[in-house]
Amino acid sequence: MTSTPLDLPEDEALAAEYVLGSLDLAERSAAEARLRLDAGFAALVNDWQNRLSDLNEDYAEAEAPNLLPQIEARLFPQAPKSRRWFGWVAGALTAGAIAVAAFVMLPPPAPPAPTMTAELSAEASPLRYAAAIAGDQLTLTRTAGTDAEAGKDYELWIIEGDKAPVSLGVLSEASVTIPAPKAAAGYVLAITLEPKGGGPDGKPTGPILAAGPLKNI
Amino acid sequence: MDDPIADLLGKIAAQDRAAFRAIYSDASAKLMGVLLRILGNRAEAEDALQEVFTRVWLRANRYDADKGRGMTWLIALARNHAIDRLRSRREIQSDDEDAMNAVIDTTPRAETRLIAVGEAKRINQCFETLEADKAAALRGAYLTGTSYLDLAAQFNVPLNTMRTWLRRSLLKLKECMEQ
Repeated sequence: MTSTPLDLPEDEALAAEYVLGSLDLAERSAAEARLRLDAGFAALVNDWQNRLSDLNEDYAEAEAPNLLPQIEARLFPQAPKSRRWFGWVAGALTAGAIAVAAFVMLPPPAPPAPTMTAELSAEASPLRYAAAIAGDQLTLTRTAGTDAEAGKDYELWIIEGDKAPVSLGVLSEASVTIPAPKAAAGYVLAITLEPKGGGPDGKPTGPILAAGPLKNI
Repeated sequence: MDDPIADLLGKIAAQDRAAFRAIYSDASAKLMGVLLRILGNRAEAEDALQEVFTRVWLRANRYDADKGRGMTWLIALARNHAIDRLRSRREIQSDDEDAMNAVIDTTPRAETRLIAVGEAKRINQCFETLEADKAAALRGAYLTGTSYLDLAAQFNVPLNTMRTWLRRSLLKLKECMEQ
């Protein structure tokens, strides 16, 4: 070819680089934030996804274990067996005491479909969670990021409008299932970094690492 | 166009659990291949696979069959998740060499090859219009999610040079594919 290549327009170059996967963490987080807000940018990313999709042929298949039981247990949690969980929730909602409560994965069968979901993220943080409320259960699943640093805990909060955050407890695992709090579309779920055991006095003190509004399905 | 994965995603968006099981059985081996190639170790790839399928259930309603094939969407979901994990690791990736080699050496199954013949030929032809090291850098970046920083070190060029290379190569690739 004789012509000197022109450069791609900046937005399109960024979209292509995002799909390529060559951006560093900060650039990537910025692109992901933009992806959620900017439909034009999302369309550019989609085009590049399609354009480069033939390269997917180079990914060889690899034997995958059957992880469906674990995945379904996370997505479709069981109804609690006894009423004592409700007492636990009441305790949690009075805040403070919850800090040490360990979340419990409940055993299988026949759960209701999720009615609300939320995706929790923040621009400056690699941490991401997916939340789903199904019946009287809230399932929170970490989809990116790592455990809190030593001596710290992640704490989950629910926020109604301008009201003070209510603690839903410290996250002892990457994925937890807890009794669903009182919630409606627009309530925000947030995760902060707190001292071990949770924010003192039941109030958040650390940075918000991920947050997102609940939406009806 | 016939796209069984797209059909399954449509059903999953309507909360069809049987379709969710079917998509796991149809796509988990391919997505495991993607995750293993990028993450380089089986334990993390399995953990990521759980998270990816969790997202498939939660996000299937965002898939739009008019915008691309179902498998392309699934692989994008898996790649994005794996690359996010890779970037949030503090330390340089410590490869599980055996897992890595096992994946790379595996020949694609006949059915996956078939789907692609026409299209793959096109992108491969376009790759041939690039200089060899630039084509290799581009392919490597895509398949393993390698950052500009690591690519620059691998090819022994400054980071900005690598960025310019890849941006120009992407443009060339686009022009070639549009011809």
